[in-house]
Amino acid sequence: MTKKIRMVTQGIFLLIFLWLFLQTESKGANDLGYPVKIFLDADPLIFLTTILSSREWYQTFYLAILVIVATVFLGRLFCGWVCPLGTLNNIVGSMKKGHPSTQTANWYRFKYYVLIFLLVSSLFSLQLSGIADPISLLIRSFSLAVYPVVSYATSATFDAIYNTNIPPLVNVSEFTYSILKKIFLPFQQPFYLQSAFVGFLFLLVLGSNLVERRFWCKYLCPLGGLLGILSRYAFLRRSVSEDCNDCGACTHVCQGGATPNQAERWKNTECIYCTDCDDLCPQNAVHFGFMKKQPVVGMDLGKRRVIGSILTGLIAVPLMRITPIARAGVSDPRLIRPPGALEEKEFLRRCIKCSECMKVCITNGLQPTLFEAGIEGIWSPALVPRIGYCEYRCTLCGQVCPTGAIKRLELPEKNKVKIGLAMIDKGRCLPHAHATPCIVCQEVCPTPKKAIWFEETRVKNREGKERVLKLPRVDLELCIGCGLCEAKCPVLGQPAIYVTSVGESRSRDNQLLLS
Amino acid sequence: MNRRDFLKTAIAAGVALTIPGSTEGLLGHLDAAEKVDIAVAHGISPQAITKAAIDSLGGIKRFIGKGDIVVVKPNIGWDRMPEYAATTNPEVVSTVVKLCYEVGAKQVKVFDRSVVDPRRCYKQSGIADAAVATGGIVSFIDDRKFREVKLPGIVLKSWPLYTEAMEADKVINIPIAKTHGLSTLTLGMKNWMGIMGGSRGRIHQKIDGSLVDVAMFIKPTLVVLDAVRILTGNGPQGGSLSDVKKLNTVIVGTDQVAVDAYGATLFGLKGADIGYIIAGHKAGLGTMDLSKLKIKRVNI
Repeated sequence: MTKKIRMVTQGIFLLIFLWLFLQTESKGANDLGYPVKIFLDADPLIFLTTILSSREWYQTFYLAILVIVATVFLGRLFCGWVCPLGTLNNIVGSMKKGHPSTQTANWYRFKYYVLIFLLVSSLFSLQLSGIADPISLLIRSFSLAVYPVVSYATSATFDAIYNTNIPPLVNVSEFTYSILKKIFLPFQQPFYLQSAFVGFLFLLVLGSNLVERRFWCKYLCPLGGLLGILSRYAFLRRSVSEDCNDCGACTHVCQGGATPNQAERWKNTECIYCTDCDDLCPQNAVHFGFMKKQPVVGMDLGKRRVIGSILTGLIAVPLMRITPIARAGVSDPRLIRPPGALEEKEFLRRCIKCSECMKVCITNGLQPTLFEAGIEGIWSPALVPRIGYCEYRCTLCGQVCPTGAIKRLELPEKNKVKIGLAMIDKGRCLPHAHATPCIVCQEVCPTPKKAIWFEETRVKNREGKERVLKLPRVDLELCIGCGLCEAKCPVLGQPAIYVTSVGESRSRDNQLLLS
Repeated sequence: MNRRDFLKTAIAAGVALTIPGSTEGLLGHLDAAEKVDIAVAHGISPQAITKAAIDSLGGIKRFIGKGDIVVVKPNIGWDRMPEYAATTNPEVVSTVVKLCYEVGAKQVKVFDRSVVDPRRCYKQSGIADAAVATGGIVSFIDDRKFREVKLPGIVLKSWPLYTEAMEADKVINIPIAKTHGLSTLTLGMKNWMGIMGGSRGRIHQKIDGSLVDVAMFIKPTLVVLDAVRILTGNGPQGGSLSDVKKLNTVIVGTDQVAVDAYGATLFGLKGADIGYIIAGHKAGLGTMDLSKLKIKRVNI
């Protein structure tokens, strides 16, 4: 019975997660209107590591604290009942045939080492937790890989039917397609630079369930580790009555690897309260309930290994920072951060690479980096204007950022933020280099007083005929680096006008103009 | 309601719509006897002046028939609110939609290929909500619905155009009058860029002839030039209220070149100052010589 309630609860949370994921998309209004980042807000690992690395109290903490308190009293209910990645692992794991192997009895420790590494490195300002945090990992995988794949496959199918030009068939399929577009498909096909990479890692996480059910949850998940530590003295516990005849059935179903077959060696920090053992027990000897003082089984992490994890976390900080790319002028000029992004060091201390900003970006211009911002900045957002510019009156990325790495800006404020500056490549620009009229860049420039203006000149063509030509120029004081000019520049490939990060408001050093 | 009841009501409603419609049509023909080429209505209500201007030309009945599938093509190119005069006034659009339905149009479709994000353009311009409110079928551009077509070839031999615009029974162009860096002004003919597919940026290289090519191909039933507000600087996107001038005017005509030539006068220019108006005149698309036209002005 409890198992059924648990499964329904899991389903509800997964649906809420997916529904909020689908709502992380513009409908044309200024605000999204839904608390799309609520799962990240409730994530204690994100909460703690962000506080440590940024040394600032973080705004939306209520839910994370609620989860912490609940875990202290009730144990790892979050893992077994709420976590959407856990639920997906659960679903995939149910496809695995046969019994779990018993060779991996000590692997459960590994997630604690990951956790210690993340906590120590974040204490010294390196924020890497989002790479392995399950919520962040799941949103990133869905945004960058799963959803684009589903969208692409669906559209390709309906396009194929559409192109058959068989009227009754097309009518039915177009009707279905229009409904899917309304409730489920993205407004436009999303494209991301790291889709295959991120998708492959996600497949590994899901696929590992076929090696062992909830492989990720048992052995790797740092949030699971954190909640495990917090649950050490929880009151919600498992008891086994004397009816137990040591049949061992519970070991095979245990989702957490909590060794339930040995009542006295039951690891409460590994139990995720799936209650499968209670459900299954032939003797009906297993019970869950609130119990006071019981002997707590040690976590048995090993001093040396713990010290090793701490040292690794310590060393990782300088190791990731001894790269010259942090210096102004050395950093990748095409590393254009979204408007409202904090100064780069501060930004990296907060960004958890959840890709909420990339999911919501109205033009698809925000893309995950690979090593442009160092290993530390992997999968952090950068604007690639050739894929999509920064929409002048859009503030969505700041609205969905869970850690304040991208500040939430009001529109008037956002309109003043420079994320870079546009420059003209006179060797490729049609009017400048080829005496051909164009100035598309000037047309689209969105600042109220256009940052791109033109100078009229008279030029002679090959036949000696004189004509008036408008040559674009960039007013660096007015340019905000949105990249709309670059996105629309008809000179394809290497554009004749392009944005680099120099002049970005957030940086003190990466400046160009004297003022 | 069963099917029979539904049919009865539907027929009754149809008759109800037809009777006043037909008398108005008769009156319309009387008006048309005056042979007004361009109607210019001035007044504070965009709805009233839109209707008045169309009535001066003989009423919507002269242009739209029962069962017509109509495309109404406003400028929804930019993510700006109506008061910034970068997009067509939503009330003008919704009024035209409403008028079409009043004379029995089957469907009135509203769309534009926006330059920036369509969701924001449709929403922030107020056009989507306004047009839907009067029954307009508002849709975003579907990339699959562009079809390569042969054009007159002043510049463009062929270009992908939007099938819904080409297949409609009637097309009504509803541009807004604005400045434009390259073409000086954007008026009616330039509004056709919103049904063009492909890489429109290249059009700029030979904009005048290209615009005429498309305008000659489309041949709108009616042009309703929105000058309720005009954008006098930093066009076509604008963004500053100081560049907006309120004229409370709507100009209606059937001659694309003539309406644009009149539009130029709103900015203190002449048709002969604008390259594509000259090109349209030369190509025989219409006339830019306003002195030869019967222009009717109404104040409301």
